[in-house]
Amino acid sequence: MAVTLTPAGPARRAPDRHHRGVTRWLVLAAVTLAALAMLVPFAVMLLNAFKSPGDYSTNGPLSWPSEFYTKGLVTYWREADFPVKLWNSTLIAGSVAVLAVVVSLLNAYALGIGRVRGRLWIVGAFLLANMLPQESLVYPLYYFAKEAGLYNTRLAVIIIFTVIQSAFGTYLLASVLGTFPKGLLEAAALDGSGKWTTLWRVVLPNVRPTLAVLLVFFFIWTWNEFLIPLVMLIDNETQTVPVALASLQGDRLMDAPTTNAGALLSLVPAIVFFLIFQRTLSRGITVGAEK
Amino acid sequence: MAALATTGLTACGDDDGGGGEGADATSLKLWHYEGANSAMGVAWDRAIEIFKQEHPNVTVTFERKAFEQIQQNAGMIINSAEGPDVMEYNKGNATAGLLSAQGLLTDLTDEATRRGWDKALSPSLQTTARYDDKGVMGSGKWFGVPNYGEYVMVYYNKDLFAKHGVTVPTTLDQLTAAMDTFVAKGVTPLGTAGAEYPAGQLFYQLALAKADRSFVDNYQLYKNPVDFKADPLKYGAETFAEWVRKGYVSKDSASAKAEDMGTAFIAGKTPMIVSGSWWFGRFKSEIKFDWDTFLFPGNTLNAGSSGNLWVVPANSKAKSLAYDFIDITMRPEIQALIGNNGGVPVAADPTKISDPKDRKLIEDFNRVSSADGLAFYPDWPVPGYYDVLVAGFQGLINQSKTPDQVLDAIAKPYADGVAEIKRG
Repeated sequence: MAVTLTPAGPARRAPDRHHRGVTRWLVLAAVTLAALAMLVPFAVMLLNAFKSPGDYSTNGPLSWPSEFYTKGLVTYWREADFPVKLWNSTLIAGSVAVLAVVVSLLNAYALGIGRVRGRLWIVGAFLLANMLPQESLVYPLYYFAKEAGLYNTRLAVIIIFTVIQSAFGTYLLASVLGTFPKGLLEAAALDGSGKWTTLWRVVLPNVRPTLAVLLVFFFIWTWNEFLIPLVMLIDNETQTVPVALASLQGDRLMDAPTTNAGALLSLVPAIVFFLIFQRTLSRGITVGAEK
Repeated sequence: MAALATTGLTACGDDDGGGGEGADATSLKLWHYEGANSAMGVAWDRAIEIFKQEHPNVTVTFERKAFEQIQQNAGMIINSAEGPDVMEYNKGNATAGLLSAQGLLTDLTDEATRRGWDKALSPSLQTTARYDDKGVMGSGKWFGVPNYGEYVMVYYNKDLFAKHGVTVPTTLDQLTAAMDTFVAKGVTPLGTAGAEYPAGQLFYQLALAKADRSFVDNYQLYKNPVDFKADPLKYGAETFAEWVRKGYVSKDSASAKAEDMGTAFIAGKTPMIVSGSWWFGRFKSEIKFDWDTFLFPGNTLNAGSSGNLWVVPANSKAKSLAYDFIDITMRPEIQALIGNNGGVPVAADPTKISDPKDRKLIEDFNRVSSADGLAFYPDWPVPGYYDVLVAGFQGLINQSKTPDQVLDAIAKPYADGVAEIKRG
C-alpha cells in the first residue's frame, strides 16, 4: 500500500520554487487533489474501523460513527493473536529484504561488472521468475517444501521470496552496474584490490542508495504478499498479517467494521517502517551526492 | 519453529476401518472457520470443553482458520503431515466430494451407523454427507457429518408490512398481491442482488414452485437430462422476468452484492428479501425494527442443504478421538446451543429453544427437512456454474435479455459440465 504513496515524494519536490507563477499553483493544486484522492480510501477505512456493525449496516460506510466503537480493534487483536502475526510478518519481510538485497548485489556484481557470457539470457531468466503468476508456482513450491520438510515453516516463505525479490533486484542492479564508471574499477585494480575488495570498498558505497530503496521495496512487497504465505503457512503460529486479515472474511458473510479495524492495524507497521526508512533513504542519497 | 519438529513424523493413514484407530493418541488437532460469536462457534467451543472433560489425557489443539485458506488449500493441507485430525469443510461435489475421490478423507460409514448419525439426519441432509467413487454427492460412503442446516426463506420487515397494510402471504398469489400493494405505494418490495448468489437463488425458488423431487434429482444428481426450455426452469425464468417488469425487483439491483441487499434490509429500506438462514444471526443482532421470517409461500421444495461438514482427513493420527468429538457435536446439548444462538441445528428439539424467533426458524427448517424439501442450490451441479448464473440473471434484471435467451445461456454450460462429470 505504501508503494502507492511513494510517487507523492518526488511529486512534492517537483514544483520549481524559482519560478513563481500560475503554473506553480496549478501543479500544487493538482498534486493536492491527487494526494486527497489517494487518501480517500484510507479515510473511509478509518471511519469504519471505529463503527459498530449495526451502525455500519444501518447507515452505510460513509456516515459518521454514532459512537466511538473500539470493539472491532480489540476483537481483531485478540482473535487474530495479532502480536504473533506481527512478529511473523516482521521476521519474514525483514529477512527477505536483507537477504534479497545481498543476493541481488552479488548476482548483479557478477552480471553487470563481471560481464558473464550470455548475461542477457540470465537476466531474462531471472525476470521470468517475477513475471510468472504466483498461482502457477504454488503447487510445485508446495511439493518441494513438503519434500524438504519445510512445509508450514516461515523459512520456506523466506527462501521463496528471497529468490523472487532478488530476481527483480538482480535485473535492476545489473543494469545500474552495467553503467558503472570503468575508471573507478581500473583505479581499484591498479591499487591491487581483488574482486571482493572492489565489491565492498568501491561498488557497494556507490550503489548504497539504490540498495536502500530496494530494501524498502522488498520489505513492503513481502509484507503485503498473500497467496504464497496462505498456502505455505497453515498453522496460526506461523501466519502473517495479511493471512490473519483474510480470516475475517467468511463464506457468505462479512464483518466490515472488524475488517476495517484489522486493515488499519495491519497497515500501521508498514507505514511506520516506510517513514523510518524514508529518512535513512534521503540521508543515503545525500551521501551519494557528495562523492 | 515448533512446526519443524513435527514434520519428521510421516503420516500413516491406515484405513483399517473399526473404531480403534488412534484411540491411544494423546492429542487432537481440530480446525474450523466459524466466527467465535456465531452459533456454531459458541456451540463448538462447548463441545471442545465436553470433549476435554471426557478425555482428560488428551490435549486439544484448536485453531480457527480463514475460510479462504481452507477453501483454497484443503487438499494440499490434508495431504501433508501438518493437517488436522478433524476439521470443518465445505459440502458439495467440488469440495468434500473431490477430496473423498482423491482418497484424502476417511470413510465414516461404519461410525455413522454405529453411533446413529444416519438416524439423526434426514435424507436430504444425508445427500451432502455421502459421496460415490467419483465424488458425486447423494449416494455411496459417508465422508462427512453436518451439524447444522441452512435454507432459503423470506425475511420481512413487520413495521413496513403494517405501515402499508400488508399481511403475511401464504400462497404465491398472495405474495404477488402483497408486492402489488407495495409497488402501488411506490415502494420496491423485494431486495435482491444481481452480482452475487441472491438472484440465482430467487430464480431457483420460483422454479421450485413448479418442481418435484425428481426434478431436483435430475438437476442436482444428474439422474436424467434436464430440459431448460420446459417447466420448472422455464417458469422460473419467465416469472423472474415478469417480477422485474412489474417493478417488484429494482433494476439497480443488477449490480448489487449480497452485502448491499443485506444492509439495505437492516437499514429498513426493503420490505422483503429472499435469502438464506446464514443472515439470521446478523439480523438478530443488528436490526432495530420488528422483523420476522416465513417460508417461501406455496413451496414444498426450498433452496437449502446441510451446512458444512466435519471431515476426518485420511492422514489423521487420532481418528478414534475425532469420531468421539463429532459424536459430541451431535448431542442434544450442543444442538440446542446452535439453535439458541441463531443457527439451524440438524437434530434439535424445538421445545429446547427459548427464543420464539429462533424456535420458528428451526421449526420451519424441520418442516422443510422432514418433508424431504431441501433442494440444494442452483449453482451446485457443475463447476464454475455460479458465474454463469450471475451473468444470466444480471441480464434478466437489467432486461437486456429475454428469459429464453437466459435459459439458452445457462443450459449449455450445464450440459457441458454434466457430460464432463459423467466422463470423469
